[in-house]
Amino acid sequence: MSVFMDLNLRPTAERSTLQSLLDTAAHLGYSAVAINYVFEPTSKKKQEIPKPTPTSELFDKLPTVQGRSRPIRVLNRLTIVASDASHFRPSAPEFRSFDLLAIHPTSEKLFHAACMTFDVDIICVTVTEKLPFFFKRAPVSGAVERGLVFELCYVPAIRDSTTRRYTIANAVCLLESCKGRNVILSSGAEKPLELRGPYDIANLGLLFGLSEGDAKEAVSSTCRSAVLHGVHTLQVSADTRAPASCCQKPGRPPAAPSTPRDCAQAPPTRPAQTPPTSRKSPIPGQRLQTNLQPREPDPPPQ
Amino acid sequence: NMENLQQTSRNLLVCDQSSLRHRKCRLSQQVQQHHFNHQVSLLLPECGSAPPPLDAALRSFSSSYLLRKLPLHELLDTHFLQDAVYQGSVYGLSYRSRIDEDTCVALLPSGQLVLSLDKDVYERLGVEGKPSRFNQRANSRYVVTVNLTDSSMAPGGRGYQRLLTGLKSRVQLQTDFLLSHHPGGGEALKALLSRYDWTEHRPQVSSRLLTNLPCPTPLTSDLPSCDPHSFLEWLGAVEAEVSCDNESTSFLSTLVCPEPRAVLSRALRVRVSGLLLPQDVYRLIEELRRCWDGRGTASWAALTVQGFADSPVSWGSREHGFLKGGENFYSLLLCSDHSYWLCMGTGAHDGCPP
Repeated sequence: MSVFMDLNLRPTAERSTLQSLLDTAAHLGYSAVAINYVFEPTSKKKQEIPKPTPTSELFDKLPTVQGRSRPIRVLNRLTIVASDASHFRPSAPEFRSFDLLAIHPTSEKLFHAACMTFDVDIICVTVTEKLPFFFKRAPVSGAVERGLVFELCYVPAIRDSTTRRYTIANAVCLLESCKGRNVILSSGAEKPLELRGPYDIANLGLLFGLSEGDAKEAVSSTCRSAVLHGVHTLQVSADTRAPASCCQKPGRPPAAPSTPRDCAQAPPTRPAQTPPTSRKSPIPGQRLQTNLQPREPDPPPQ
Repeated sequence: NMENLQQTSRNLLVCDQSSLRHRKCRLSQQVQQHHFNHQVSLLLPECGSAPPPLDAALRSFSSSYLLRKLPLHELLDTHFLQDAVYQGSVYGLSYRSRIDEDTCVALLPSGQLVLSLDKDVYERLGVEGKPSRFNQRANSRYVVTVNLTDSSMAPGGRGYQRLLTGLKSRVQLQTDFLLSHHPGGGEALKALLSRYDWTEHRPQVSSRLLTNLPCPTPLTSDLPSCDPHSFLEWLGAVEAEVSCDNESTSFLSTLVCPEPRAVLSRALRVRVSGLLLPQDVYRLIEELRRCWDGRGTASWAALTVQGFADSPVSWGSREHGFLKGGENFYSLLLCSDHSYWLCMGTGAHDGCPP
């Protein structure tokens, strides 16, 4: 297994909320998170693809992950919500400043295209309303083979009981087609109180039909492979340069300070980490604190 | 798929019923093989305070030493090998590392060094290992086991050099490390203690008097009045101080004491925690047995030993993992006629206890 990640944190206008969101994620034990910028292009007017704010500007300090000595890693992600590919160019160079690229298709045609051809890393599954289309085995298997992952967000299920039903129904529908492979569970949280600990989310995965091992992977190893896929795609696209007409210098603009390489490759030194919370506590179940029950870190043994 | 929701994670419980007087009693091996013990909890019924010899045994558990930021190649240091690994039994465990997220290291008394590594670190280390038994689809965790007492791992040998180069230059693994040695103690470890920041940890002893405790009865091991699962549930509730009243107004616990039951006016619960050596645990069990040779006040005692949730091994060199919980523990019900009931439990990512 690998470290826990939450690849969907939604920034709001309030910088302090985002900082406390990050602090909570680190406290819950997530070692890496992705700030998700959502872009909804329409055919009506030309919209600018958002640029990610550099991490150093967004956060005063990167908090340390609970029980480890490394600070939490922050990635940048772009999600495009669209129903038609004509609304945006799938390989625009502006996309390269993000570590992860996601697409939220609202039509079957775009879903099929995204699974089979688009240069994306994550395909988002609607959880707030009835599925606009059914999942067919062919595009789902195609996506799995290409290394794409399907994302399910859990925060809408926390907010409202109607969306909770849609979340579970849509998740079960997805899992019937993909058999538990290449699925990630992420929050979509805007506020710290909406976050949940990784083990709790792995349990939630059981409700969707994932097996225990698959559910735990959905918050750890599968997220890691999505991030690696993002890095790989960036490297590949750096080699195939964009045409001059898009007014960008050929080759990639420097990525946002949270360098994807940092996250993807294991660092040469791998200190197994230290601070106070006593993980040696053998009490099964609650390993990491959840939001609702703050536990005092045990004092280090005398 | 919805039926799966009613199932909890797999866990294993092995129950052994025997007598300390029996010729082929395996209790000693089962206790000694559980190398890494975090907590020993003793429940003495109808007892206000521990009898002096028992108290002395509880307070004489060996100290362990916590080394900060120990580079792992130091475990191959020749002086350390001479003083600690080749003589007596050394117990070492990486501290504050998570078996399902990080690199975890264990040094067993048999001289085996067990490294539980994730894929990137394993591939860069360059030493042969096996994929973890608990890998899901892709091999994301590997276990490297080397026997430091083996001739191929003698200092200067090829195997030794390869591992040393790997740990020194290719991956530079460094971790906080808990170490203990039997019978040498700190003296045997001075090769490392003299060079790295360390603190000594004496095992902490705490006790608590419980009153009006419902208890299944009679508790004998030849005619158990309740099955092992119910007994363990009750014992766990007592240890965790969870009420077994099952009051209609309480929504916290629906656990009940198995019937038939009696109420103990008082019981003493004593706990020792730290990095506890199996030799000390067995000495405690022998002391308990001696308590009955003289007089027969109580008819039973219950001892629960918890392992470390993030240890790479459970019993012997059986691989241990963490899915939802890292339990690897055993509970011993010792009766005055020297018969006992031993229940060994492990979790989903574990092998079968001996």
